[in-house]
Amino acid sequence: MDELELLKKDWKKQDANYPKLSYDQIYNMLWKKSSSIVKWIFIISVLELFISTFLSILFTGDDYWVQLEKYNLKQFTEVLFVLGYAITFFFIFMFYRNYKKISATDDAATLMKNILRTRRTVKYYIAYVLIYNGLTAIVVFSYMIYFHINSQDQTLSKYSFDTLDWIKFIGIGLIVLTLFLGLIWLFYRLLYGILLKKLHKNYKELKKLEM
Amino acid sequence: MDKALEHQFVTNLERDQNIVHKICRIYTNDQASHNDLFQEITIQLWKAYPKFRGDAKFSTWMYRVALNTAITLYRKKKRGIQTQDYDTVHFRIKAEEYDDETEQQLKLLYSAVKELNDIDKALVFLYLEDKNYREISETLGISEVNARVKMNRVKTKLRNILNP
Repeated sequence: MDELELLKKDWKKQDANYPKLSYDQIYNMLWKKSSSIVKWIFIISVLELFISTFLSILFTGDDYWVQLEKYNLKQFTEVLFVLGYAITFFFIFMFYRNYKKISATDDAATLMKNILRTRRTVKYYIAYVLIYNGLTAIVVFSYMIYFHINSQDQTLSKYSFDTLDWIKFIGIGLIVLTLFLGLIWLFYRLLYGILLKKLHKNYKELKKLEM
Repeated sequence: MDKALEHQFVTNLERDQNIVHKICRIYTNDQASHNDLFQEITIQLWKAYPKFRGDAKFSTWMYRVALNTAITLYRKKKRGIQTQDYDTVHFRIKAEEYDDETEQQLKLLYSAVKELNDIDKALVFLYLEDKNYREISETLGISEVNARVKMNRVKTKLRNILNP
């Protein structure tokens, strides 16, 4: 006999052996806290959106504007800023829309796809914040170096760098930046790696046949 | 929330709770995890209940939400190592109904199912519950052809676990 048929026969006989919860026991469960993965993803994602937005505001404090004015970059940054906020709001809107789409009444594949999509939106936002701040830092930094070298102002050349000093200076800057970004990246991999491991595995398993 | 809705929901779930217990049985290995998963499924069912329109049977709708919870939404709590004999202790196979050889084979079969991955377990569960391939494909969100192919692979996998 087919193994599964044998199992099915026994499976049906087991019906009376299951625990029987009372009306009150079930009723009390309705108010217990869910530990669902969607809840965690939501909490962590909202925190990330806030922290990222907070960081971009922090990076661009008053000093930043004074500096930029000095180097004639104010207008350039103003445009970037407006653009930055528009993009941030777009991401928050997308995140909210994706999150609303998650429903346990969908079929398994759709549910998984929707959760992963919500997650991806936040991931893109974080990548965007890092790239945006990284690029701005590099542009402003390069411009400052350029300004410094070409300046006729005698007070600025108190310390003059030779080529080797410049290489060291830029090299160390790049290493620090890479380490910083690398750490953030590692942190996210760990955080979501743990949270989404099962989901990724099951999604792959479901989709394996359709490739 | 609406008292009448609460009452209706709990009554329905009390009547059909076996479906949830069966899913817990397939997906967990000890009594504490069984209870945890049962609770999470109940919460998810209740959260989704306002969307239940009654055009499907309550039990049919339950399969979907409950399996989604087990496969995707549920986060296992960390637990110490527990006895793996949970299945045979709690679901004792009545000895007089089977000969020794069949009983032994059934034990092996249940533990073989436990070794499958989450998706394969879902397939086996729906199969044991007499769901046809259309229902299986709609619950999991894969095509009917793929559901069939997958089911055959699961059968082979089980056979391989049983006869290594």
